[in-house]
Amino acid sequence: MELYHVELLSAALFAIGVYGVLARRNAVMVLMAVELMLNAATINAVAYAAFLDPGRLVGQVITVFIITVAAAEVGLAMAIILRLYRVRATANVDEADEMKG
Amino acid sequence: MTMDVRFELLMPEFLVAGLAFLVFTLDFFIRPVRKDILAWVSAAGLAVIIAFTVPYLLNEHDSLFDGLYRVDSYALFFKVLSMGIGIAVILGSLHFVNQRLTHPGEYYAIIIVSVLAMMMMAASGELLTAYLSLELLSFCLYILSGFALQDRRSNEASVKYVLLGAFSSGLLLYGIVLLYGALGTTHFAEMATALEGAGSVEGRLLVGLALVVAGLGFKLAAVPFHMWAPDVYQGAPMPITAYIAVGSKAAAFALVLRLFYEGLAPAYDQWQMLIAGMAALTMIFGNVVAIVQTNVKRMLAYSSVGQVGFLLMGIAALSPLASNGLMVHLVGYSLTNFAVFFAITAFYNATGKDDIPDFAGLAGRSPFLAAAITIGLFSLAGLPFLAGFVTKFYLFSAAAAEDLLWLAGVAMFASLISLYYYLQLIRQMYIEKAPEDEGGSVAVATPAVLTAVIGAMALGVVLLGVYPDPVMAAIEDATASLLGTDNAWITLGAAGQ
Repeated sequence: MELYHVELLSAALFAIGVYGVLARRNAVMVLMAVELMLNAATINAVAYAAFLDPGRLVGQVITVFIITVAAAEVGLAMAIILRLYRVRATANVDEADEMKG
Repeated sequence: MTMDVRFELLMPEFLVAGLAFLVFTLDFFIRPVRKDILAWVSAAGLAVIIAFTVPYLLNEHDSLFDGLYRVDSYALFFKVLSMGIGIAVILGSLHFVNQRLTHPGEYYAIIIVSVLAMMMMAASGELLTAYLSLELLSFCLYILSGFALQDRRSNEASVKYVLLGAFSSGLLLYGIVLLYGALGTTHFAEMATALEGAGSVEGRLLVGLALVVAGLGFKLAAVPFHMWAPDVYQGAPMPITAYIAVGSKAAAFALVLRLFYEGLAPAYDQWQMLIAGMAALTMIFGNVVAIVQTNVKRMLAYSSVGQVGFLLMGIAALSPLASNGLMVHLVGYSLTNFAVFFAITAFYNATGKDDIPDFAGLAGRSPFLAAAITIGLFSLAGLPFLAGFVTKFYLFSAAAAEDLLWLAGVAMFASLISLYYYLQLIRQMYIEKAPEDEGGSVAVATPAVLTAVIGAMALGVVLLGVYPDPVMAAIEDATASLLGTDNAWITLGAAGQ
């Protein structure tokens, strides 16, 4: 297995995530797409640590922190989306459009 | 690798974190009608920490945890600025919170946590640390922008903010990891060494750089990554709008300035035109779109997008002068925006309105508020004897000195455009008549605390405009510690001037 195999996998995952954020209208789905983007970064971090920077733990530390931050981010975002659902009975971001201009 | 960390240098951060937990805890023991105490404890606590920090960290230069975390004049400058911003926001929101928000304990404590995040952003000397403190700040702002639980717009603002914020941190993180892959390190200083050593620029580095710029562009609300800003500014509770406009920008620029000046300076040729183009686009777009806005918060949102364009010039110019200019413009921008936003908050507290025509005849209803808004807007436009003139002068001349004369020209033009829509609001206040019906001619009462905060900010705007020397001395110190003696890249470039 070469480094570029892993990089391709991660780039594909990242692209799917970006597509999901742009195309999905349901807030929960957007959040899941963001998770894909973060996971793509995680894969890259581990791959670089293993292939390019062996013996140091930088990539692994980045990964652990990404997982923690992602968990916190989801918890926070879900609470805010739940609030949206309570107020408007929808989680569709296109229907949250009271402000324009 | 030596690891004898001088933990005592982190005392200001520990104290701010402790203050946040103190406020969270005190909240349980204070009756609902007396929650004002929490605001006073928070503001007084931050003031005491400033008074402790300045003599404590003056002349301290150290880099903790093997370079992860810096203690220097630059970090000290932004620590004091962050805490000052925190005090202003807490006191400025006192009446707004009493009238319109629930859970004041959490409100003040989260503001203090975000002040901590801002302090850490200016001090981080490594990408992951910078990312974590940026996220801490963002999380606090997501919560605060949705704090008006009964307000549909506030909720909408926080949903948009959290989704776009999460997306942008995904971009930023992927970029950070690519930079790590390209350079083999995440420390700013080591990145600069690796960049200098690298003969050719590889794809990983370019994509990583682009994604980091995009991710940070979102946080700064630079065009074309600004689309969240108007909605969040309009929907968020009014003092939080001021806080997002001032605090998050000051902290993000503190981080960006250190990253680009310390870490990415050797790759100057790759990113200079990118940043300069973004700056030009941002100042033109923000100021042009602001013209057609009818809501005052939205207008100020686009105006602050335009200000980000000016500030980005300081990054693109990359010289000690530009760094000075950027920091002094940030100080002036903070004072000015607070003066304007808190005056508008006072008006909103009394009337519940925030559209531009609602300000008709304000000069007769409250000469103080109208004068404060006018001083602030004139300063934003850059008229002489006010902060905006001096700070723009430093910033524009620094850009012109670095062969970015065209960018300085664009900035002058954008300032002219901004004067047009600022004058429209001023015309409403001083020339238009107040509507006769629905109590439009009743005087607008401003509570004493808010009056004091607005007055202090307006006074600061004038003082910085006529006598910037003390602030400039601190800023020059900060720039000196940012560039250091070992950053030959920029120091040499400046010597050629």
